[in-house]
Amino acid sequence: MDFRFTPEQELYRQSIRQWLETNLWPRARGIDEAEDGIPTDITEGMASMGMFGTTIPERFGGLDIPDEERMVYAMITIFEIARADMSMSTPVYTLLTIGWAYIINKYGTQQLKELVLPKVAEGKCFCGINTTEPGGGSDLANITTIAPPEGDYYVFSGEKAYISGPKECAKWGYPSGHCTLAKTDPNAGYKGMSFIYVPRDTEGITDHVYKDMGRMGLSTGGFIYKGAKVPKWCLLGEEGKGFYVNMDGFNAARIIVAAACLGGAEKSLELSRDYCKQRVLFGKPISKAERISFEMADDWMQLDMLKLNLTRAAWMYGYNDVNPGTFSRAELNKVVSTCKCLSPTLGHDIARHGMIYHGGFGYTKDTPLEMMLRGVMSYEVGAEGGLNIMRGIICRDEFGDEYNPFKD
Amino acid sequence: MKIIVPVKTNPDLQMIRIKNREPILEAVPYKVGDLDKNSVEAALQLQAAVGDTQVVALTIAEGNRKIKDTMKEVLAMGADEAYILSDDALTAADQAGKALALAKAIEKIGGADLIVFAEGSTDNYSGQMGPRVAELLALPEIGYAKKLTVADGKLTAERGMGDLIEVLESSLPAVVTVTSEINEPRIPTLMNIMKAGKKPTTEWTLGDVGLDAAAVAPQKAVLSNLAEEQQRKNVMIEGSAEEQCAALIDALIKDGVLEA
Repeated sequence: MDFRFTPEQELYRQSIRQWLETNLWPRARGIDEAEDGIPTDITEGMASMGMFGTTIPERFGGLDIPDEERMVYAMITIFEIARADMSMSTPVYTLLTIGWAYIINKYGTQQLKELVLPKVAEGKCFCGINTTEPGGGSDLANITTIAPPEGDYYVFSGEKAYISGPKECAKWGYPSGHCTLAKTDPNAGYKGMSFIYVPRDTEGITDHVYKDMGRMGLSTGGFIYKGAKVPKWCLLGEEGKGFYVNMDGFNAARIIVAAACLGGAEKSLELSRDYCKQRVLFGKPISKAERISFEMADDWMQLDMLKLNLTRAAWMYGYNDVNPGTFSRAELNKVVSTCKCLSPTLGHDIARHGMIYHGGFGYTKDTPLEMMLRGVMSYEVGAEGGLNIMRGIICRDEFGDEYNPFKD
Repeated sequence: MKIIVPVKTNPDLQMIRIKNREPILEAVPYKVGDLDKNSVEAALQLQAAVGDTQVVALTIAEGNRKIKDTMKEVLAMGADEAYILSDDALTAADQAGKALALAKAIEKIGGADLIVFAEGSTDNYSGQMGPRVAELLALPEIGYAKKLTVADGKLTAERGMGDLIEVLESSLPAVVTVTSEINEPRIPTLMNIMKAGKKPTTEWTLGDVGLDAAAVAPQKAVLSNLAEEQQRKNVMIEGSAEEQCAALIDALIKDGVLEA
């Protein structure tokens, strides 16, 4: 047993940290203020460093890394990006794209993979996730968007809401789009659902965007489908099994969502550590005030434990894909849900604590802490599964059916 | 063309804590020196400019540590091959012993058209390896180059001499040391990191290059290795901004920092 990163993983981590500190860190505030997406020169640079290719095999334009380590590399990537862009804009843009590319590679047809994956690896395509509807996103069995098969197509009608990436799809054009959950058999409940990649440029789709509180460099909005015809080769997995494919994808996504929260949390704690050493009050640095230092120690302990659990989750997920059946679905769900439930809150707490240590300075935009606080809240309110959904999963998979809140 | 780049791995300077003025080196990770990355980059840029060139990295395992993984960074930057000299006898060696070991290793590799050193190491910065190795191999040496070109079998190097730039030319083979201003070292991409593990790395002991412990025995002893003491003056100047400025200028003149 060995808890260390491999030499290659460690060298990759150090290399992208250096690249991101030089190229992204000085630009993060500007990305937040411009509200105009991630600048192309940054995504191009990230692609040349290999960041968009971690989850994609070499034959589809990705990188020659062991398949079972792909999720670990994705985790390192997102963690490091979040340290450099604490607004969460760039980490979330990237985690959506490389996370759902992983699922396209795992479940997609050859034609879909050849279309989408090389463009993702080049950093010239956005991929997202599209399940939530105006009625909510936690009770997915009751979604109302339908996509009945018709000839060689699925024909989409309905509406999706609180979806990341409408403007990013418009920027990159075809084949940017979203892994979308819809009922291909509208009368069959969750067993009638399919998971289908929907290129945004499909005719019959309109979108709109919201004004968000944070991660201003990434758009959020909704889609309306009126008879949008999507080719059948865009199906992910099997028809009627979409709910399970979607849930498997959520496990992958939740790992890198947690990586984003913890990367930002680690950087926030470092900023506070450095500030409190030099901020003198009542004749001594505030780092000597135990009300502050002990809280920082508590935060560090939780951060360290979660980083360890996150690494375990990333390793388990990838290892299980290469060696199916090593871990049960319930085992994976519990480890991943732990990360997704605790990381956003810890990220929020560490940013908020840091703001308080900084006093009035912490409330200004001269520190990135407020940016972190606004950005990480998107994962507390729900994205990739609300915190109470995570608790429900742990009840169901640890304590059994008597505790399953999702079933009567 | 063949270029050999001798590099040094040193303790990660940011990870060293100082206690009682002594550096604590226990469990500090080693990394390729920052200045050594400039020399690797210089070799890689010459490789790209000249074409059909092999870049070979060479190092001594400092403290006889296992540094095969550390050297992957140089291979990931683009070097084609690496040689590591590991021997207990080298842990105590001084600059003379290490230079001899490097020179013998360069001979065993089969020599090179160009040997590129950093101007000095990132930790001790004695700057002796380039000139010493050139002397041992009886090769011409140019120190502190900030620009290098190779054309028509000749090396041209520029170096900054304060007010003027000196341009020097040398026949090949030659030894050159480069300054940090010569380039911005590339950061390895993931693609090249994954390739690095497949590139050849050869590990030699002193015996493999025809030396023994006596040949590299230190000729000088390190008596102490202490961090410099910096006493802060903690002078507080009070009054209005103008008064503070005037008092500060007076104090700086008194300390000889400014001329009256």
